[in-house]
Amino acid sequence: MATTLAVEPSSRPPFVKKLARRLEVRMILLAIAIAACLSVLSPYFLTHSNIFNMLDQSVVIGIIAVGMTFVILTGGIDLSVGSVAGLTGIILGLAVQQMPIVPAIAVAVAAGAFIGLISGLLINVFGLAAFVVTLGVMAIARSLAYIFSGQTAISNIPDSMQNIVYTSVFGIPSNVLFLLVLYALAWAYLTYTKGGRTIYAVGSNKEAARAAGLNTLFYSVLPYVLASALSAVAVTFSIAQLLSADPLMGNALELDAIAAVVIGGASLYGGRGSMIGTLIGVFIMVMIRNGLNLMGVSPFWQGTAIGTIIIVALLAERLVSSRVNR
Amino acid sequence: MSLAAFDRSPELVTAPLLTMRGITKTFDRTRALQGADFELREGEIHGLLGANGAGKSTLSKVISGHHAFDEGEMIYRGREIRLRGTRDALNIGIAIVMQETSLVPDLTVLENIFLPELGRPGRLNYGALRQRGEEILESLGQQDSLPFDWDVRRLSSAQKQLVEIAKALGVQAKLLIFDEPTASLSPGEVERLFDVMARLRDSGRGLVFVSHRLEEVFAITDRVTVLREGRTVMSARETGDLTQAELIRAMVGSELGAIYARNEEAPEIGGAIALEVKHISALPIVRDVSFSVRKGEILGLGGLVGAGRSETAEAIFGLRPRSGGEVLLDGKPLKGNSPKTAIRAGLGFVAEDRRTQNIIPDLSVKENLLIAHLGAHRGFFCGYGARAKRVDELLAKLGLPGDRLLDASMLNFSGGMQQKIIIARWLLLEPSVLILDEPTKGVDIGTRASIYAMLRDIAAEGVAVVVISSDFEELLGLSDRVVVVSDGRSIADLPSAMLDEEKLTLLAAPRTSMARNTALLNDLTREHGGAGFWALIEDDSLICLNAVVSDPALDPGFRAGEARRLSETRLPNALAQRHGAFVAEAGGGRTTLVVPMTSPRGHDLGWVGLTLKEGGTLPAPETIKSRIDTMAATL
Repeated sequence: MATTLAVEPSSRPPFVKKLARRLEVRMILLAIAIAACLSVLSPYFLTHSNIFNMLDQSVVIGIIAVGMTFVILTGGIDLSVGSVAGLTGIILGLAVQQMPIVPAIAVAVAAGAFIGLISGLLINVFGLAAFVVTLGVMAIARSLAYIFSGQTAISNIPDSMQNIVYTSVFGIPSNVLFLLVLYALAWAYLTYTKGGRTIYAVGSNKEAARAAGLNTLFYSVLPYVLASALSAVAVTFSIAQLLSADPLMGNALELDAIAAVVIGGASLYGGRGSMIGTLIGVFIMVMIRNGLNLMGVSPFWQGTAIGTIIIVALLAERLVSSRVNR
Repeated sequence: MSLAAFDRSPELVTAPLLTMRGITKTFDRTRALQGADFELREGEIHGLLGANGAGKSTLSKVISGHHAFDEGEMIYRGREIRLRGTRDALNIGIAIVMQETSLVPDLTVLENIFLPELGRPGRLNYGALRQRGEEILESLGQQDSLPFDWDVRRLSSAQKQLVEIAKALGVQAKLLIFDEPTASLSPGEVERLFDVMARLRDSGRGLVFVSHRLEEVFAITDRVTVLREGRTVMSARETGDLTQAELIRAMVGSELGAIYARNEEAPEIGGAIALEVKHISALPIVRDVSFSVRKGEILGLGGLVGAGRSETAEAIFGLRPRSGGEVLLDGKPLKGNSPKTAIRAGLGFVAEDRRTQNIIPDLSVKENLLIAHLGAHRGFFCGYGARAKRVDELLAKLGLPGDRLLDASMLNFSGGMQQKIIIARWLLLEPSVLILDEPTKGVDIGTRASIYAMLRDIAAEGVAVVVISSDFEELLGLSDRVVVVSDGRSIADLPSAMLDEEKLTLLAAPRTSMARNTALLNDLTREHGGAGFWALIEDDSLICLNAVVSDPALDPGFRAGEARRLSETRLPNALAQRHGAFVAEAGGGRTTLVVPMTSPRGHDLGWVGLTLKEGGTLPAPETIKSRIDTMAATL
C-alpha cells in the first residue's frame, strides 16, 4: 500500500518533563515533601525505629489496598473489605482453637474468597451496582462478626502466631517482607500477564474488551475474590500482632484503602492506576497518621487533618498534571 | 433518483437569521472545525454538506448548543450570541431534530412533544396541551397521523421524527436543524418529511438540512454550503445553479472516480465458502438472515439504519445471543456464545462505534493492536513476543509509522488512523472472515480511499470480507455482492453490478411499506386469480421487489429479491412492452398487465404486474392502475 499517513507531530519533550509526566514520579516527590515537612515538625519522625514502625503500620492497609487496586482498576469499588477483615478475623480466631495455625488461616482466607465471589457474581452476573452490593456485604459481614464472636474479643490465640510477624529475614520483619513481595507479584501480574492486561482493558472499556475475545466476566469477578481474600490475609497479620481477634477489627479500613489507591493515581472510573502508585499512596497515608500522632494531635482532629490533606494533595496533583501533560 | 423539485418562494428571501464566521472547535486533539462560515436566511432550506468527518455534524451541534465553539462569532437575528447549552438554544428558538435520540421512549407522544413544559413549575393542563398539539400537527399538514396517547416506544422511525419536529414547534422554534433525517426512512416517508419541511420553510422558518445524499439536497434545498476538513469550501450557493459534479468536487476536493478503483487483475471469486449464515435470528431485532461469503469476496450488507444489520453481525460474532439458525465457518458450525469462540475459529469483527466498542483508551496503541491476540491467546502470560515480527510487518504494510506509534494513546490519532489500527488488530490474527460495521464512519475522505484499498488487499489475500454500510454509494463501490436486510430479514442477494443507489433504496424500504404492497397484490390475485409482482425494470433486466403467486401455473419465474434478464422470465413479451394493456405470451396460456407505479410527487417506484389466465375475462387496466396509484400514495 503506497499511501502513508501523517501522524500528529509529537514534539520530543525534555527528559525532566517526560519524567514529570509519570504519575508515580510525582507521587514519590509528594511523599518526599510530606516526609520532609513532618521531619521538620517532629525530630523523632525520621528515626530508624519510627521508620520501621511506619513500615509495620503499612502492612495491614497495604495488603488490603492491593485487592482494592484490582477492584478499582476494573472500574468497581469494594466497601466491604474492612468488615470482611473483621469477620474473617473472627473465623480465624475460632478456627485456630480447633486446628493448627496454617489450616486455620487457610479457612479464613477461603471464607474471604467465598464472600468476594458472592459480591463479584452479584455485581457482574446480576448487574447490581458495586457500591450497593458491597455496602450490603459490609453490613452483613460486620453483623456476623459480632454474632460469631459472641460480642467479645477472642483472646486465647496461640503465641506461636507471633512468628508470622516478628520473624526477621535479612533484617527485615517478615510482615514487611510479605508486603513488599506481594506488591512485586501484583505489579508483575498486572504488567506481564494476560489476566493483568485484561483487568486494565475491562476497566478502560469493557465492551471493547469483550469484543476482542477477552474473558471479561472472569476478570471482573476475580478482583472482588482477591480483595476479600486479601482482607483475611491482612487481618491475620493484625491478629498475630495483638494475639486477639476483635469483631471490630478492620473498622473503616475500606476508606483508608480507597484513599491510598486514589492518592496513588488510580481512576475510580477504572483502567488507570498502578501497584507502585498504590504503594506510595499507602506510605503517604501512614506517614500522615504517624506524623499527627507524633505531634500529639488529638485523635478527634486527625480525621479532619487527614481528609483535608488528601483533598489538597489530589487537587494539587490535578493542577500539576494538567500542566505537564499539556 | 429524481425527486420532484418543491416549489420555492423567492419573495421570502430576507435578512439572515443566523450568521456564523470563523468557527473553530477542537475535541481533545482533533480539530473538528477550523474556520467554518455559515449563513441561514429566514424562509429557506439550507443544505449543509460534506463527506464523513467534514464537520457538518459538529457545526450543527454548535448551532444547537450541544457544543460551545472555541473561536469565531455567531450572530442570531442581529445579535451576537454565545450558547451555554441546548436550553439556551431552545429558549431563543433554535432546535435540532436528531435521529430518535432526544425522545423519552416511556412517555406518551403528547408528553414528549411538550417535554420542555414538563420542567416548568405548576400544574399541566393536558386538555390545552392536546389542543396545541393538534394545532401544530395541522400546521404541518399531518393531522391525525400521531396517536397522542401512545408511548413513543411504539412509534415508527418516521413517526418519532414527526414527534421531534412537533416538539421543536412546541417551543416556537425559528430555526430547525435536521441532522441526516432520512437515514432510516422509506422513500414515501422521505417525501412526507420533505412536504413537512416545505411547509416549515413557507411559514418563514430557517431550516438546516444536513445530508450526504445529493439527490435529496437537489430536491429540497434552496441554498447549499459545503464543508471539508472543518472549513467552509462552498458558501451559500443557490442550489439551482449547481451541478452534482460541482458539489462532489467541493465535498471531496478532487474528482471522485478513483476512490473505489478496483484492481484490474480482480482475484477470482471462485473460492470456497468461508462463512455461511443460515436463517439466524436474535429476537426481537434479527428475525431471519441468511447469506454466504466466499474466500476473497467482499460482501455488502445493505439496508436502512435500524434494519438489523449491526445486530446480525453481533449475533454471528457471539456478542448478542442467537435465538435460532446456524453459522458455518469454513464448513464447521460456530457456536454463538462468545466472541472468544468466534475469534479462535477465525472470525474478526470491527464494530460500528470506534470509541465505545473498539478502542481501549487507557492501553497504548501497541496493546490496542494486540488486544484481539490477547483474546485468542491461551496461556498465563501475554505472548506478545511471538507476534512482534508480524506487528512490524503489518505496520510497514499499512503505512503506519512504526516505533513512535506504539507507546502513544489511541485518542491522539485521527479517526482514519484509529480505524486502520483496529483493522490491523484483526489482520494480526490472519482471520478467514472479517466483518466490518461502517468502516469509514468518521473517517476523512482521503483516508477512506486507503481503507478501501486496504479491504481490497485483504480480500485479495483470500479473506472473506463482509462490509456493513449505510452509505449506499460506498456499499456498491466496494462490494462484489450485496445482501439487503430489512426489518431483520435478508430479502435480496444481488451482484452489485446490477444495482444502483436508487434500486438499493427501494429494496431496503421497511417492511411496512412492503406489507401494503403485498396486501394489494394479494387482493388483486384473490379477485382475479393468477400472480402479481412488483419489480424494478431497466433495459433488459429486472429486480423483483415483491411477488405473490396464487395460481402456481402462472408463476412469473422470479421471486422477491431475485434478479433476472427479461428473456429469462416466463413473461418476456409483457415485460418488454409495458404499454398499459394486457399482453399475451408466445407460449399461450397467460396474459400480463404491467403498469408503472409512481408516488404522488412523480417519483418512480418501479412497475407492478398482474398475470392472468388467457381467455378469461380481464379487468380493465385503468381500474388496476388507479388501485396501484392509491396504494403508492401510502408507501
